[in-house]
Amino acid sequence: MKKSDKKEKYQEVAYYPGCALEGSGHAYNRSTKALGEELGLKLKEVDNWNCCGAMEVKNIDPKLQTYLSSRVMSTAANKMKMDVVMAPCNGCYHNLKKAEYDLENDEASRQVVDRLSKKAGHETYQAGQVETIHALDWVKETIGEEGLKERVKNSLEGIKIANYYGCMYTRPRHIFPEKDAGPGSESTSKPHFMDDLLDAAGAENVDFPLKTACCGGAHTLSDSDTSTKLVTNILQTAEAAGAEVIATECPTCHSGLEMHQIRAEKTLGIKTNVKIIYFTQLLGMALGLKPKKVGLHENVSDSFDFVKKKGLA
Amino acid sequence: MPIHEKSLIRPENLKVQENIELEGIDVSGHWSTFIESRVVTDYNEAMEEEIAALPGGEFIHRCWQCGSCTNACTVHAINGEFNPRYWIYLIRTGMESELLRDKDIIWQCVSCNKCTYACPRDVVPEGVMKATAHWLELKGHTPKSHSTIFDEIFSEQVIETGKIEDGRTIRRYFKQTGQALRQPWLEEMVKRLLRNLPIGMLTRMGLANFITPKTAGWSGARDAIKEYVSEQEAHHRKVLGLDDLVKAAENEL
Repeated sequence: MKKSDKKEKYQEVAYYPGCALEGSGHAYNRSTKALGEELGLKLKEVDNWNCCGAMEVKNIDPKLQTYLSSRVMSTAANKMKMDVVMAPCNGCYHNLKKAEYDLENDEASRQVVDRLSKKAGHETYQAGQVETIHALDWVKETIGEEGLKERVKNSLEGIKIANYYGCMYTRPRHIFPEKDAGPGSESTSKPHFMDDLLDAAGAENVDFPLKTACCGGAHTLSDSDTSTKLVTNILQTAEAAGAEVIATECPTCHSGLEMHQIRAEKTLGIKTNVKIIYFTQLLGMALGLKPKKVGLHENVSDSFDFVKKKGLA
Repeated sequence: MPIHEKSLIRPENLKVQENIELEGIDVSGHWSTFIESRVVTDYNEAMEEEIAALPGGEFIHRCWQCGSCTNACTVHAINGEFNPRYWIYLIRTGMESELLRDKDIIWQCVSCNKCTYACPRDVVPEGVMKATAHWLELKGHTPKSHSTIFDEIFSEQVIETGKIEDGRTIRRYFKQTGQALRQPWLEEMVKRLLRNLPIGMLTRMGLANFITPKTAGWSGARDAIKEYVSEQEAHHRKVLGLDDLVKAAENEL
C-alpha cells in the first residue's frame, strides 16, 4: 500500500481500547482520544467489544484467544463496516494480528472460530476483512513527522527520552508482515516509529539498547521478583543512557514499569527517578494540550513537576 | 575476572567414601571419590507425545537443538538453570526424572516470544514451555503455579462477562494464592496513584468494585466457549490418561 493510501484510510478507524485502557491504563485511553481529537482523526469505538484474551487466555487454549480477537474484528468489519481497527494496547494489537495470521494460515483455527461464531450468533470473521494497526501506525501514517512539526506548540526540546516498545509490538516477526518490509517500514529488531514521532516533536531520543526487552508483564503479579529484576534493569539502563523519561506505548509495560519501580525501591532499596509517560501524553502536551487533558494525573509515576519544569504545562 | 565453571557432575552424584579397601589394600583418602552411575533406565516414551497434545506443544518435534531459544531467553539471562533447549531435549528423549529436577521453574516463562522470534524451525518454544508447565500440573508433579491460578481467574472472568476489570482480578488472585493485599510496595503505589486523582474519578473506580464491566450480548459467546473449553479439557485428560491414573490410585487405596 502506498503511503498516501494509508493516510487516507486511517483518517477514520474502528477504535479498540481493550480492558486495560478502561482500568489501569486509563491515561493511555484519555490521551489517545485527546490526540485524535486534536489532530482531527476520527475514532469509532468498536460496538460491545470483548477482551482479546490478553496474555492469559492463550494459556488455557490458544484457539479460544483467536476466537475472542476475531469477534472484535468481526464486529468492526461486519456490523460497523470498517476496514481498519486501531488498538493502542500492545497486547490487543498483538492478539488481533496473531488471530489474523492464524485465520489466514491454519485450518484448525478457522474451524474453531467458525464453530464458536455460529454458536454465539454472529458472522465469522474472515482473514483480510480488516487491517489491524497500532496507535503508532495511526499517528505516523496520517500526520507523520512533517505534520507534527507544523503543529507543535510546546516543543519537547531538552527532554531526553528512552523509547520503550516491549515484546508484543514486534514479536514474533511472522504475525507482522508489514514490518521489516524495506525503507519506511517498522523494524522488529530496532523499532523506530515512536522515536520518529517524538523526535519530530523536538525530543532528544537517547541511544537505548533495551527497546524491545521484556518487562515480565505476563507475570507481573504471579512472579513479581522476576518482573522487578527485569524492570529494574530497564529503568537503570535508561538512566545510564541519560534518559529523563521512558516513553511507553503499552498499558501493561507502562503499569509494570511504574509498579516495579516502586517495588524495587521498597523491597530492594534501588531507587530510580526516570519518569514513565505514554507517548500519546508526550505528543499531546507537545501539541499544546494541558497535562490533565492527557491524563497525567492518572499515572502512578508523578511527572507534574517535571513537565512544568520543561515548559509543557 | 574469574571464570565461572559449571560442574558437569552434580554434588549429589559424587560419592565420597570415608574408608575404602580395594583388593586388600587400604586406598582411603586417595581413590575415595566415585561418580554415581548415570545410566537412565526409566525412560518415559509417552512424554513427548503427551506434551505435543497440549496447546502450544504441537511443534516440539521440529527442534534440532540449535539452542537459539535459550540464547535469546529473557528468563535464562537472570537464571542460568532456565534452559528451554535442554528441556526440549529431555522431553524428546523421554528423560522424565531429569526434567522433573527443574519442575518448579518451568512455569516462569514470561512469554516474551524472543525464542519464537529466534527459532529457525518454528518450534514455538514459548508454547512448548506452557504445554510442559501444564503437563507437570496435570500429571500431579507440581501444584498449580501462581501463573496458572492467575490465568484461570482471568479467563473465567473473560468467559463469564466478556471483559476484565483489573482491580477485581488482582483482588481475587491475591485471595486465592493466600497473599496479603497490604504489602508495603502496593500501598505505596496506591498512595502515589491517589495523590493526583480528582474525586469524580475515585468515585468511578470505587463503583467498579460493585458493577462488573460486561460485554452486551455476550451470553451466546459465553455458552459456546464453555462447551468448547470443557470438550478440550476432556480431550487432554484422555490423551494424558488422567482418568486411568485416578482409577489406579483409587484401587490402591
